[in-house]
Amino acid sequence: MIVRSTKLGLDEKERFMLFLIAPAAIVLACFEIIPILIGMNASFRDWSLVNPQRTWVGLKQYVAVFTDPVFLKIVLPNTFLLMTASVGLSLAFGLALASLLNRPFFGRAVVRTIILLPLTIAPVITATMIRWSFNDQFGVITNFLSYLGLADIGWLSDRWPSFALVIMTDIWIWTPWFTIILLAALQGLPPEPFEAARIDAATPWCIFRRITMPMLRPVIIVCVLIRAIDAFRTFDQVWILTGGGPARSTEVFSVYTYVLAFVDLDIGRGAAAAGVGAIIMLFVGGVLYKLVNRSVEVSR
Amino acid sequence: MGMENKLARALLIGGAFGAVCSSTAAQAETALSICYINHPVQVANVAILQKWAIKQGVKLTKTVTSYTVYLPKITQMLTSGTNDQCDIIWNNDDWGQDLAHYLERLDDVPNARKVEVGQLEPFHTADGKTTAVSMTTTAGILFYRTDLIPEAELPKTWDDLVKISQTLQSEKKVKWGYVGGMSYTNTFFSFWWTLWNNNCDIYAPAYERDNKKLAADGWKPMIYSPCQVQTAEFWWDALNGKKISPLGMTTYSRDEANAIFQAGDAAFTVADTTFLGTFNNPERSSVAGKVGIAPFPVGPMSDGVRTWIDVWGWSIPKTLPSDRKTAAKKLLGAMLGDSDGQIEQWKQTGAPPPNTDVWPTLEKNDLTWRRLRMILFKPDHVHAAYYFRNWATVHKVYSDTLIRAMKGKREDIAATLKASSDAIRAGAVAND
Amino acid sequence: MIALALDGLRRAIFAISIVAIFVLFVGPIMILGVTSVRPASGAFYIWRGTNFTLNNFVEVLHQSQVLEAMWNSFVLSTLATILSLGITVGSGYMLSRFGGWIQRSWFATIYVFRTVPYISWVLPLYLVNTRLGIYDSYLGLLLPHIAVHVCFFSWLMKGFFDGVNPSMEYAALIDGCTRWGAFCRVALPAAMPGIAALAILCWLSTWNEFLFALILSGKRTPLITSTMAQFVTETGTEWNLMSATAVLAMLPALLVTIFGQKYVIRGLRM
Repeated sequence: MIVRSTKLGLDEKERFMLFLIAPAAIVLACFEIIPILIGMNASFRDWSLVNPQRTWVGLKQYVAVFTDPVFLKIVLPNTFLLMTASVGLSLAFGLALASLLNRPFFGRAVVRTIILLPLTIAPVITATMIRWSFNDQFGVITNFLSYLGLADIGWLSDRWPSFALVIMTDIWIWTPWFTIILLAALQGLPPEPFEAARIDAATPWCIFRRITMPMLRPVIIVCVLIRAIDAFRTFDQVWILTGGGPARSTEVFSVYTYVLAFVDLDIGRGAAAAGVGAIIMLFVGGVLYKLVNRSVEVSR
Repeated sequence: MGMENKLARALLIGGAFGAVCSSTAAQAETALSICYINHPVQVANVAILQKWAIKQGVKLTKTVTSYTVYLPKITQMLTSGTNDQCDIIWNNDDWGQDLAHYLERLDDVPNARKVEVGQLEPFHTADGKTTAVSMTTTAGILFYRTDLIPEAELPKTWDDLVKISQTLQSEKKVKWGYVGGMSYTNTFFSFWWTLWNNNCDIYAPAYERDNKKLAADGWKPMIYSPCQVQTAEFWWDALNGKKISPLGMTTYSRDEANAIFQAGDAAFTVADTTFLGTFNNPERSSVAGKVGIAPFPVGPMSDGVRTWIDVWGWSIPKTLPSDRKTAAKKLLGAMLGDSDGQIEQWKQTGAPPPNTDVWPTLEKNDLTWRRLRMILFKPDHVHAAYYFRNWATVHKVYSDTLIRAMKGKREDIAATLKASSDAIRAGAVAND
Repeated sequence: MIALALDGLRRAIFAISIVAIFVLFVGPIMILGVTSVRPASGAFYIWRGTNFTLNNFVEVLHQSQVLEAMWNSFVLSTLATILSLGITVGSGYMLSRFGGWIQRSWFATIYVFRTVPYISWVLPLYLVNTRLGIYDSYLGLLLPHIAVHVCFFSWLMKGFFDGVNPSMEYAALIDGCTRWGAFCRVALPAAMPGIAALAILCWLSTWNEFLFALILSGKRTPLITSTMAQFVTETGTEWNLMSATAVLAMLPALLVTIFGQKYVIRGLRM
């Protein structure tokens, strides 16, 4: 085995554990942890990409982010709204679709492939396509909606419609992701509890709530947490659809960070914003874990 | 047999020697890598460079980078001192000042200074040496539908623009009067061309770009001055009141604006001059052959038409080994001296030749050029950017503010603009 | 009678949901497909005019290094999938089955670094890659793509192993299997459906990844997404060409999805 040192007092089991994580840990350290640390180092400095003076400024950049009214009053609420709506709804749709696909019916393989279609397109392309489709002049969907006689909506130019569009796009992109993982989990469940329930003549809803959900709990928790962290930093969809506009009203966390780092080329402030996001997510993740855990527990 | 054998051996050795020689010669051949974005003008100019590279025995490798990450990537490359990725890079006046001290001085490139007055300053080092040579001049211009508006009736003022638009719209000849980009980074195609044609600018004194003079004046924002409020009100009316522009225009980039104009749904637009070719290309546009160029209509406070022109350039990183620097400079010099190639670039893309010595030739025998020169280069100019570090930030604040004003009530415009005054001043002062 | 009506209602709901799935999932793809066969003049107003053309595909295949980029992306996605799954399956198993300080600190590491947004570290990553001399090479693209997946996959794998009853492994250990044997022969097959699903997701996400592709690839190793991004220029988007490329890029992705699904099902039957 790789780890020879017994001086550390590692027993056979611990050595096995280290052996299991060693390759992952090495890659992670070189290509994620080190770059992140370089980035975080920048967050304590006055570091413009074009003129890297790198003067140490302590927590100044963090204070600037935490006291920015736009960040506190617009960016954070938007981000949490997007996160909650996107994760909640894609989970709901994913569960529904996974349950649908878990029973045999004619043409199931076709439907399953169709549901996976959104994953075969790069999110950037999807977002661009949605943007053109909802244009007030040439958009296919806006023209179709007005052909149906529905009122014109400023899909991209007003705050709430454009935010709704961002959320819908995100749901479209991520529902298949939930579906495929939950379907795999469903298919991996042992059949015995279900047979027992059927003998007891339990309703499908009852079976779903009392047997399926609790058994899916570990996977659901992981899915929700991972997606919540990812949704917290959703970028492409927002940047392409609204650019955070009109007038920053749909700006979310990663657009805020992106503008600092890639438009203003202020690496220091950008890294600090990213750091602030990480801190918030660490905290929110913990709370979320408890919440999801309990809600699945309670529904039992 | 012996003879033949000897001959064969001699040939073999000779051949091998030759091969060795030619392979060392191949190694000695300079290889240059050029980094740019996929834009018709850049592609056309790289074609000229490619032609000369072959003549000069240089192997030119083309690295096309996506526009979205071009600046961060190039900046990171320059600041980290890596010298194996790009030998010649595309440079833009917007960030010319930021990059200047990482770039080689190019005053010794033949014809480097043959540009319009004031055009290379954005690329200057502190001691007035240029760090870029021109590949073309970019500028915005008013496009109009020649089948709808006779040349004699072209709008001279904003009021004309509104009236002509409304007439055409009521006659159902066109769906919209004016369509142009308005979202962030497309500010030029709506807010700014009107601002500059209303005797107005972002900082006072208007049209000044010398940081020392602006600083001496205290970087005074003009965001709530009457000329700016007037401009904002013009656009508010265009969108909400007189409806010569679609409501969704606040979100339009060049893509949307061009798409609508090319589909024949708008009578006027402002876009880069290089779109003249695209708009009149039947494969790309359904109004091909019906698009002309015109001077900007001016606002009530204007004292004359003002155009913005800026150079797109090529630059060379300072950290290159001297042989590659020399080769790169020689190549750029050859391009600047190639008048046929530059005329071809103009004909293909509508991008003015970089070397102004070529202009008189076009002046003599090219009608479109004469018109473009009249409209674009005869009037006074303004630089479409300011040259301080946080300019991009200020541009975004400005864009957000104006769009906020467009989405609000008309009577709130002045207050909305005033609220951003401090942020716009702070953006400039932060550099001092 | 009521039972019959209920059954009819259920059938109706089922039919409606199938139709809805078709409209919602296929509709946008159709828009993209139609755009890809429209000439440049009709790329935006796709509902106006009836001229269609295959020129976009011809131009895309001629003009840029699309095929080379697709090959690069294919190799990268496949290698990244195999290696990411290979190195995270053990890590996920460890997280699921063991406790103690190693498990806790590894989990904390994964969690903490997962929360840091990409945009703050792609530029430093570019720096790391140029320092190591692997910028714009397969290795320079592969390793960061794997690194991105480490946190996420380890965690999901943990979820999959959590769903597998460990008693069989204990039995195997008592029967004299090594820990490694118990992991390979007992736990791994049981978690296979999840892992197979993850393989598809991993392949697709690498295939469609943009930011790393833009920052870390250059002239030597163009990827399909960075090639697509070249149709976005400072003066506008060549949307007809971009969608033609996107449609071309969809084909391998579709094949992997369909083929991968079979594998998921087969994985179930093992």
